[in-house]
Amino acid sequence: MADLEIKDLHVRTEDREILRGVDLEINRGEIHALMGPNGSGKSTLANTLLGHPSYEVTEGSISFKGVDITEAEPHERAKAGLFLAFQYPVSIPGVSVANFLRMAINAKREEPIQVKEFRTQLQHAVELLDVDRAFTSRHLNDGFSGGEKKRAEILQMAMLAPDVAILDETDSGLDIDALRTVAEGVQRLHDEQGLGALIITHYQRILHYVKPQFVHILMDGRIVLEGGVELVERLEREGYDQIRQEVGAGTAGAVAAGDAGA
Amino acid sequence: MTPVPERAGASTAAAAGNGSAPVAVKAGRHREATLYHALAGAGAGDGRTLAELRAAARATYDALELPVWRRSGFWSTSLQDLDLEALQTHPDGLRDGSGEPEVVTRTLPERPRAGRIVQSAGAVVHVELDPGLAQAGVILCSLEDAFRDHAELLAEWFSKRLTIDRHKLEAANAAFWSGGAFLHVPAGMVVEEPFEIVYAIETAGIAQYARTLVLGGPTSEFRVHEYDLAEDFEGQALHAGAFELYLQDGARCRLAQVQDWGRGEVYDVSTRVVAVGRDAYCHWLPSLLGGHLVRQHLELAVTEPGGDMAFRGVFFAEEQEHLDVFAVDLHETGPSGGDVHWRGAATGAARASFEGLIQIDPGAQKTHTYLQIHSMMLSPRARIDAIPSVLVSADDVSASHGGTVGELDETAIFYMQSRGLDRPTAVRVIVEGFFEPLLSELADEPLAEVVRGKVAAKLAAAREDIEAYATSR
Repeated sequence: MADLEIKDLHVRTEDREILRGVDLEINRGEIHALMGPNGSGKSTLANTLLGHPSYEVTEGSISFKGVDITEAEPHERAKAGLFLAFQYPVSIPGVSVANFLRMAINAKREEPIQVKEFRTQLQHAVELLDVDRAFTSRHLNDGFSGGEKKRAEILQMAMLAPDVAILDETDSGLDIDALRTVAEGVQRLHDEQGLGALIITHYQRILHYVKPQFVHILMDGRIVLEGGVELVERLEREGYDQIRQEVGAGTAGAVAAGDAGA
Repeated sequence: MTPVPERAGASTAAAAGNGSAPVAVKAGRHREATLYHALAGAGAGDGRTLAELRAAARATYDALELPVWRRSGFWSTSLQDLDLEALQTHPDGLRDGSGEPEVVTRTLPERPRAGRIVQSAGAVVHVELDPGLAQAGVILCSLEDAFRDHAELLAEWFSKRLTIDRHKLEAANAAFWSGGAFLHVPAGMVVEEPFEIVYAIETAGIAQYARTLVLGGPTSEFRVHEYDLAEDFEGQALHAGAFELYLQDGARCRLAQVQDWGRGEVYDVSTRVVAVGRDAYCHWLPSLLGGHLVRQHLELAVTEPGGDMAFRGVFFAEEQEHLDVFAVDLHETGPSGGDVHWRGAATGAARASFEGLIQIDPGAQKTHTYLQIHSMMLSPRARIDAIPSVLVSADDVSASHGGTVGELDETAIFYMQSRGLDRPTAVRVIVEGFFEPLLSELADEPLAEVVRGKVAAKLAAAREDIEAYATSR
């Protein structure tokens, strides 16, 4: 059984079905890329995996380390070892990055983390992400640039050491330097800690820096193609439209029908 | 957070028209928006003896009914449910022996302090002052004792800017006050640790007429922490307070207040005036954290050129509480600086009204001031009205205001949950974060911790209500 197992997942929001039967398996130590055009359901999948209250699972299941978490509270999923790097990280005024991290780490532990141990971990993460130490005393995401927000996401990921992380369009809005730092951070966490990752992206850019072993293409709420890294190159050459035609015009039609039916 | 549009500059501000003459308001006719005014000037003191003041106030008290304040149809603060006749003042004290009330020892932080004076009901029950400071000329004593021992200071300063006749409870305070607190920090003294002034109500049935006078001599520097506390009793009590602080040339004061009247039916109708003299500075942060019905007139006035101030404030209203704050940022001369920043939250069916007035008098040129009010609603039945107003009578000034009205941000809660924090913790982090900019600015951790602790306790008490609100949206 895979660490993260998604079976026939159907998800709807505000009377619209967005995911229409997604199957996906992710293990620790594996890097997966999930690609798809806008509106294909990528972010819905990311948010659903962490239990966002606006998304309703109508069919299928999510299990993590053998436990069904389909109905679990978001913080329970996080404690079990799932992580979501947000596409649009939320600012939390009044709470410093360091204090927030300490709270999050302690939420997973019986005994609060020792000050010294926390500092050591934080120093390591700060170096990994190539940010200033002063960065961690700023209020979380408050007044951060786009690049700083994404670095803060990966910094949190490094500190919380999840088993499987979902990165929701972490590459969007990043300049090339920030993109490289973030991507190398993910790669190192994979290499050093055995992180499993689902990298969700619209583009191919980030996949030049993090090499996925598995590539999935999501269209209209279903995974329509799967393969290795060669799929990325093919997508780069041909684009989503070509692939859409190939996997069948019926897909888009089915969505339209589904919408009408809802 | 939904930003409230800002109206910047004196030109628009002058049209806000808050400061025109008082208008008599009849019940049921609420169109007159003018209600609250700055005291803005000479008080009742003016050469009168204490006995003369008391007599004049007594006559006013006898002539007036309990007040109802109305503002333009959507807000009224009424004392009609207060049974004033049933309350006792206890000027000689209720307790046998001394010792501090339990609510005081329970609430105040263990910390170094310059001095402490505690009044319970109508009597001062505890006074302590660092012997070194006493030697150096600092005075901390009951106001009654000050009238006996420091008559010349009192003659000059007592009720200098406080009136006695605006409403029945103000008159009652002036007529019936007992105990009281007097602090004088002489010229040039710099005192690191705070002076603590405490008013406690331990049982129902008490009318506490509290009177505080603080003098900061030229270039003195000090901190004052006032605590207004009550036990959780059943029944009514009243705290009618009058507070005045005068900062002379170049004096600097950090003044903070922690008010939590507990779960009893405590009415608090108080006026506090701070006057900032030439090149003096005051940082003032009242935290209004509970009371059945609380009406506060808070006025921070720059009275001499070069005065500067930071007027901060925190409030948290819960359950059926009614909070009515009128905060005045007054500039009588220029150049002067002002910066008003308040943050408030409400749960349950609480109602809070915050009116912030910037008033720049004629001749107060080169005044620069800004007012911002941020509020957070934590329950569908809670209501906070934030009313900024600007009254400018000088043309070379800048005065503007802004603010936000917010609810709990579900996106932020989900974000924190996704990091492993449970929902109540996430809510607490948001609300604490909301207040944190002001609390960290106190630069006084023990005091900030008291406020944080009270906010956390109120959130815990309102947990179900907050949950219900979240799921209903």
